[in-house]
Formats: sequence, C-alpha cells, structure tokens
Amino acid sequence: MFERRLYHHLDWLLLGAVLTLCMISVAMIYSTTVSSAASKLPWTQTYAIVLGLGLFAICLTVDYRVLTDKSHFIYLGLLALLLYVLLFGTVAGGARRWISLKVFNLQPSEFAKIGVALVLAKFFGENRRGSPTTGDLLIGGGLTVLPLVLVAREPDLGTAVTLAPIFLGIAYIAGMRMRILGILVLSAAVLAPIAWKFALKDYQKSRISTFLDPSQDAKGAGYQQIQARITVGSGGLRGKGFTKGTQGQLRFLPVAHNDFIFSVLAEEQGFVGVLFVLSLYMTVIWRSLEAARLAKDKLGAYLVMGLMASFTFQVIYNVTMSAGLAPVKGLTLPLMSYGGSSMMATLASFGLILNVRMRRFTN
Amino acid sequence: MTVRLVVLQFGIGFLFCALVFGFWYFQIVQNAKFAELAENNHQRTIALRAPRGIIFDRNNNVLVVNRSSFTISIVREHTKDLDRTVQMLAQVLGLDEQEVRDIVNKHKREPSYRPIVVVEDATLAQVAAVQARRLDTELPDVLVQEIPTRRYPTNEMAAHLIGYVGEASEAQVASDGLESGAIVGQSGIEKIYNALLMGQDGARHVVVNSMGREIRPLSEDRYVEGRRVQLTIDVDLQKAAEDAFTASGFNGAAVVLEPKTGEVLAFTSRPAYDPNVFAAGIDRVTWASLNTDELRPLNDRAIQGRYSPGSTFKMAVGLAGLEEGVITPDFHVSCGGGANFYGRFFKCWKKGGHGSVDLRHAIEQSCDVYFYTVANMLGVDKINKWATDLGLGVMTGIDLPNEVQGLVPSEQWKQERFHEKWYAGETISVGIGQGAVSVTPISMAVYMATLANGGTRVTPHVLKAVDDGSGSGWKPVPPPPPPVKIDVTPEKMQAIRDGLWMVVNAGGTGGRARIQGKDVAGKTGTAQVISNEKRAASRSGKDYRDNGWFVFFAPRDNPTIAGVVFLEHGIHGPNAASLAHHILDTYFAKEDGRPLPPPPTHDDLRLDYSDPYARRITTGTDQ
Repeated sequence: MFERRLYHHLDWLLLGAVLTLCMISVAMIYSTTVSSAASKLPWTQTYAIVLGLGLFAICLTVDYRVLTDKSHFIYLGLLALLLYVLLFGTVAGGARRWISLKVFNLQPSEFAKIGVALVLAKFFGENRRGSPTTGDLLIGGGLTVLPLVLVAREPDLGTAVTLAPIFLGIAYIAGMRMRILGILVLSAAVLAPIAWKFALKDYQKSRISTFLDPSQDAKGAGYQQIQARITVGSGGLRGKGFTKGTQGQLRFLPVAHNDFIFSVLAEEQGFVGVLFVLSLYMTVIWRSLEAARLAKDKLGAYLVMGLMASFTFQVIYNVTMSAGLAPVKGLTLPLMSYGGSSMMATLASFGLILNVRMRRFTN
Repeated sequence: MTVRLVVLQFGIGFLFCALVFGFWYFQIVQNAKFAELAENNHQRTIALRAPRGIIFDRNNNVLVVNRSSFTISIVREHTKDLDRTVQMLAQVLGLDEQEVRDIVNKHKREPSYRPIVVVEDATLAQVAAVQARRLDTELPDVLVQEIPTRRYPTNEMAAHLIGYVGEASEAQVASDGLESGAIVGQSGIEKIYNALLMGQDGARHVVVNSMGREIRPLSEDRYVEGRRVQLTIDVDLQKAAEDAFTASGFNGAAVVLEPKTGEVLAFTSRPAYDPNVFAAGIDRVTWASLNTDELRPLNDRAIQGRYSPGSTFKMAVGLAGLEEGVITPDFHVSCGGGANFYGRFFKCWKKGGHGSVDLRHAIEQSCDVYFYTVANMLGVDKINKWATDLGLGVMTGIDLPNEVQGLVPSEQWKQERFHEKWYAGETISVGIGQGAVSVTPISMAVYMATLANGGTRVTPHVLKAVDDGSGSGWKPVPPPPPPVKIDVTPEKMQAIRDGLWMVVNAGGTGGRARIQGKDVAGKTGTAQVISNEKRAASRSGKDYRDNGWFVFFAPRDNPTIAGVVFLEHGIHGPNAASLAHHILDTYFAKEDGRPLPPPPTHDDLRLDYSDPYARRITTGTDQ
C-alpha cells in the first residue's frame, strides 16, 4: 500500500512545521503549569502527540480514496458516538463532552470534524455537475448541521461552530455561487439577533456583550479580555522569558494552558515568539492549501479544504481572542493548546492532508 | 477552483498580517502601558505602620508604649465576589454581616488596593479563624496584619495631658497631608506633638497571584519609628495628685509647676477616661457614653474649665493695691462682718467680723471687707492690669491643645461685651474673686508661680526633651517664649508671701497643707457656683455645691514648687488643701530622700462635707 516513491512526495516542510508546533506546545504547557498541581499535563500532551503521530501514520498510509469511500460509515459511526456522549458521556465543568476510556477521556466532537470533512468531500467530489446546486448545498448543509447540533447540545458551542467552516470551505471551492455565499452571510447576520434572543445561554451573551466594552464588567466576563491584553501587551519585543511571565504564572489569565496558551507565549516569548509561531501556522496553512490546489482529484482537494477550513478558522479566532480582540469562547488553538483529543484529531487531519499531496501523481 | 484557492490563500495571508499588526501594536507600541498594568496586577504594597514614639516622664519612667495588635482587612483588588467575602468574613469572625457591609461601603470609593479594616485589635481566635480560611484560599482577599498600637500602661493617669490617638478625620487627612486611615494624636500630647511622635510608615512589596494571595516578598522599606519624647512630668508627683483625687472622691483638676522654669510636674483632670479604649479604634457605644456623660470626662478641666477663683484672687488685689500705691502692708481695715459700698451692704464670710486687720492678716484670715475696700480704692482697671500681669485672664501658652482663656473684667471689656458702662459697685465683688472673674486651673498655677518667683511669669510646658534617634540621647527642647518679668518691689511682694505663709502656718484656712519645716505658702478659696437665690429656686438634682480651691508654693523663700488643686463642688477650699498636702508631702519626701508617703485614705483627708450654703442664706459669702 505504501510505496517507496510516495515517500519523495511527502511535504517535509509542512510536517516539520507541524512537529515544531507540537514541541512548542509541550514547552508552553510546561511553562504554564510548572507552578501548579497540574504539572503532569506536559506529559499527557506528549503522550497525545505520540498517539496522534500513530493516527497520522495510519491516515497517511491508507489511500484517502479508501477512506472517502467508507466515509458514510465513518460519518454514521461518529454520529453514534456523539449521541452516546450526549446520553452517557462524562460530565466535567457542566458539559457532557467526553467518553471515559480509563487511560484518558476521548472527546468525539474533535473527530467529528474529520468525519464531516470526509463525508462532504465525498458528497461534493462525486458531484458531476460544474457547481453545486441549491439542493446539493442543502444536503451538504444538513450533513454538517446534524453533528453540529449534537455537539452544541453537549454543550460545546466552540467546537460545534468549527464544523461550519468545513461546509463553507468545501462549498466555496466546489464553485458555490458567490451570490449564495452572500445570502448565507446575510442570513447569518439576520439570524444572529434571533439566536441572541433564543439560542444563546446567559454566559454566552455576557461574553459577547462584554467584548464590546470590557470595562463594563472588569471583574467578570470582561476580566479575561482585559487580562489577555495585559498579558500580550506586557510581553514586549522579547518577552519576559520562559516560565517568567507574571500574568500566566500567577493565574491572572484563566486556563492559560488551554484557551489562552498563545497569550502566554506572547508574554513569555514576546513579539519575536509571536512572529515565529504565526509564521509556522502560516506555513502549515499555506502549504495545505497548496496541497488542495495540487490534488489529483476534486475529492482530495475538497478533503484538504474541509480539514483546513476548520483548522484555519480555529487558529485565527483563537489568536485574535488571545490578544483580547475577540469575545472569549472555549475555542482552543490547534497543535498548541492542551487537549489530547484535539491533538490526535489534528495530527490525523494532517496525515490526510499529506496523504492527498503525496498521492497527487498516483492513479 | 484554482482561482478560488489562490484567493483564499491570500485572504488568509492578509488576515495573518492583520494579526501580526495587532500584536505589534499591543506588544511594541503600547508595551509600556501594559507592562505597568501587569506590574500593578501582581504586586501589592502593604503599609508597615511605624510605631509611635515612646513617651517618658522626666526621670525616664515609661508613660506610653506600643503593643502589637492584629487588624483584619479586606483588599478588594482581586476580589471577584465582594458579597461572598463579606458574608463569609462576617460568619468567620462572628460579626453582624450588615455591620461589615457598612464598613466596606464607607470605604468603597478608596482605591481597591487599599485594605479596608474590618476589625481592629482582633482577638487571637478571630485571627486563627481567618488564617485557616486563607490557607484554604477561601478568603484570599482578606489580610491579617500585625500592627503596633498605643498602650497606656497607667490607664487613666494623666489621660488629658497625654491624650489619645485615633484614625485621622477627613479634615485632618485634607489639611495635614495624612493617609486616609492613618492613626494620629487626637488630643493632649499625642495631638500637639503628633509630628514628632508619628514616625514614618514603611511598606512591604509582595507578589500576589490572581486570587490576591501572597506568593513571595519583593522588597521592604523600613518604617521610621516615631521620636521618643521626655515630658517634664514627674510620675511620682503625678501619681500623688491622682491618688489624692481618688481618695477624695471629688472631681476637679490639679497642676503642679516648677516655678523657675514653668515645667509641669503633675497635671490631672478628673473625671478621666482610659485612653486605651481609643488606641485600637473606639467602639460606638463607649464613644457615645463618654460624650453624653454629664460629668464630661473628656473635658480637660485644667486648661478648659473656667471657674470663679474666689478668695484665691485676693493676692492679685493686694499686690495691685501695694504697687499702685493705694495701700501699704500696714494699711489697716476694720472689719465688722461687712461694709457698705455704693448703698449696698457687702457681707464678710465671718459673721462677727475680723476687727482691725493689716494686709498680711487680711490674707491669712481671708477678710472680705479688707479686699472690698482695697478693690474700691483701686478701681477695676488697675485690678485687671495686675491680675493680667500675674497670669490670670490670659492664656498661659501651655503646649497642649485647646486651652481656653479666663476672664478678669475691665471697663473696656464691659463696654465691648455689653456696651455698658462699668459701675464702681461692680468692682467690690471682683475684689474677692467673684462677679465676672473666671480663671482656668492652669492659669492659677502660673499665677502662683509668678508670686513664687517674685514677679517672673513663666510659660508652663510639658515637653522636656526629644530623642531624635541619632543615638546622641535626649536633646533638650528649647524653652518656650521667654518669661515676662513684671516690675514689683520685693518688700511689697514679701508682704503677700508672708500672708500666704500665715494661711498655712499660722491661724489661716490652709493649715491642712502644712508640712513641718517646709514653709508652705498657700491660699484657700471657696467659690459659689450659682447665686444663693438661684440655688434656692433650683429644683433639679444638679450639683450646686461650692467649688474649692487651694493654690500654693513652697518653700516660702526660694520656692521650688507651685501649683493648684481645684475641687469641683469640693464644698470648701480647705478640702483642696488636704489634697495639696499629699502632693507637697510626696514632693518633699522625694526631695529629701524619704520614703514616699502611701496613698491617702479617704479618712486621712479629713474632708469637710458641711454645706456652707445653709449658713450663707443667713450670713456671709466666702472664706
């Protein structure tokens, strides 16, 4: 299955950037937890990376067309898992998101992204028409909304939202007419106030309203935003040094090893560190989109696009939030934030992306 | 599709550039601002209160020291839920939640890093309870501080002289540049020498986490302890005065001076209060009871009470007569128990009269008719001039806050005050220290010191020396304004002093102050608080018994001590002389190296409780 010549077409630059980000991740998690009881977290993350690289290898080796062929089974399996979580999952912090696997807790919603990307790639990729019709879009949208609602019910609005870019990204390069995209954006704008009124929980509303004016609630929800800006801003050009950040170390910033890991990086490594890590992410995204462009078939391109849309959305949103420039949401930074399921799912995605690029010359 | 991908690639590239710009703006352009915010975030400055200076008496006996007390405060800087903290703290400390809330609300506008003191002088149980919760991070925003607090080991002794401390009022904060919450002197020595005693607070800089919990110290600025001060007070003499009052059961005041220098050796006002109750913040109930007490314990009678001097004023009239040349020491007046002036009969206190008396015997016997006559010959303005020169009716300038001025009337005073002419008939009662004359006990002490000095008036003062902390020990405080020397003829002054000696050592009213071989000179005075008519009409239970005075110096020739004992409603001047005896006895025992006399018992004082009012309705006025 794995032929030697494929080895030459592996995108080493992309892989190198991903692995570098993984190492930075462990280092930053170490720095943010060194002074607390959670000092085992860097190890947990390391194990997740190792497991993730295993998944990566599998996703790289198996021809992606085999996976997309079976995507409806994968998709259905994931839906079943999400349902299972909703009914029997492990509760933590008021949300039911995990399946306890003795050794670690699995968060199926992270893997849902891959499932959705696979099924949408197959659905749009096998479409013989030039551009998707309204009916296609409705079906594709339905395939996305189903798991999205299940994840949102956990509740985990942050992860649920990351499923939407998959559909939008694939539909976009599948040639969806810009007018429809415009209508989608417009209806989102119309639906937002309605969602505000009926769908959002109070804590979600307060996060958004305080984003518009953090000082109105400097001790509450606005607190994190102000602290994020202070954390980033006080880093300066060169930063305060590894494990020397005051904001992260003294817990002025909550969940520093998780949602706000990039803020701590900015504090301890300064603008220089920010530039370095952002250019790594840019490399990863740029090269992945290259892979989509170079893909042999639409199927591959759509798959890469779906995976990257979610990844890119999360990176841009989290980094913006880390600087206190976006409302605080439970949205992690892929490849950096602490979280085993996210790390494994992300590495698996890159297995698929490299897979598509590597097999661009095969039949 | 390729076009769309390229558009996407560049679109994302653009977004990344925007992010880089955002980070550049925060991290480079606004770095200084955010760096400062981060510093303030995690550093806390805790004030280290400087202990106030220790106060000593003239022989280096400790009068006022400091002890450690604990305050429990809330620092709101990192508080997430103030209500919860208040509720929990009240529960832990066993306080009323509303009370704690009121305290917090009162200080709400202050910067959030400044601790709001909820409990001053907390008990060890309260401290332990809070510390346990703090360790559990349940109350990370609660601060327990050990701070130096004033302790007055002698309790009520010399309370009015030493004064008390308290939290600076808003007015004091504004005018003296003090920190809100600073502890400053609010009366007495504590107030007037606050700048010396206060010292300079230090600060401890610590790193705190987001819960406000202290992580590690950064640096410390040592406080500067307040200056040590030495008072002119002699603790043995002070104690003698206090003991005498305690044994007598009377209220009043006593001031003892060193006549040559004006140094105050003893100073008391009764009833007194315990300054310790103010030291760690006085509670509302105690404060209210001190303020509403009819006996007004907070009032410093020695410098703030104004009373008729009665017969103790006669020396001023006598000296005025001599110096103005209207009489000589041999001038005789015949007393038949009263005399007529301006159509009105003025009684002498002795119903049968004193017969023919000269000045010396007039002082000894306190003959009213003699001094009516001299006063009438002088006129009120000349009496005013000499009384003022001797120190009456003017401020003494003692280094204590809120001294009040007495009054010796003059024609001009009446004109200004009442827009009326002075009637010669009014001068008669001024001659025996009644009428409009009023004096403070401290001014009476200065008056006696002036007579003792042969006419040199000194400014009484309490501060003797200051230790500036340089290690060179006590530095004497420069003396107050130079004494005023009034021009008197020694022989004339001697006649007055002879009369005073006779009061105590011959047949006079001050015999109880006599001390063998010490030639005590003195004068009693019994002054009505209210006119006979008014007292007869009064139906209230108020105390209208006469005030008793005894003023003294000793020994007669070359005196080393002068002073006054004033008994509020003490009924008779001789009762005051009994108290003065114990003070003088203690003074001379100390001087001679004898053992100090034990505190007198009530019986030792042989107080006379017979109310002269009963007799007066039918006879004279004063003795």
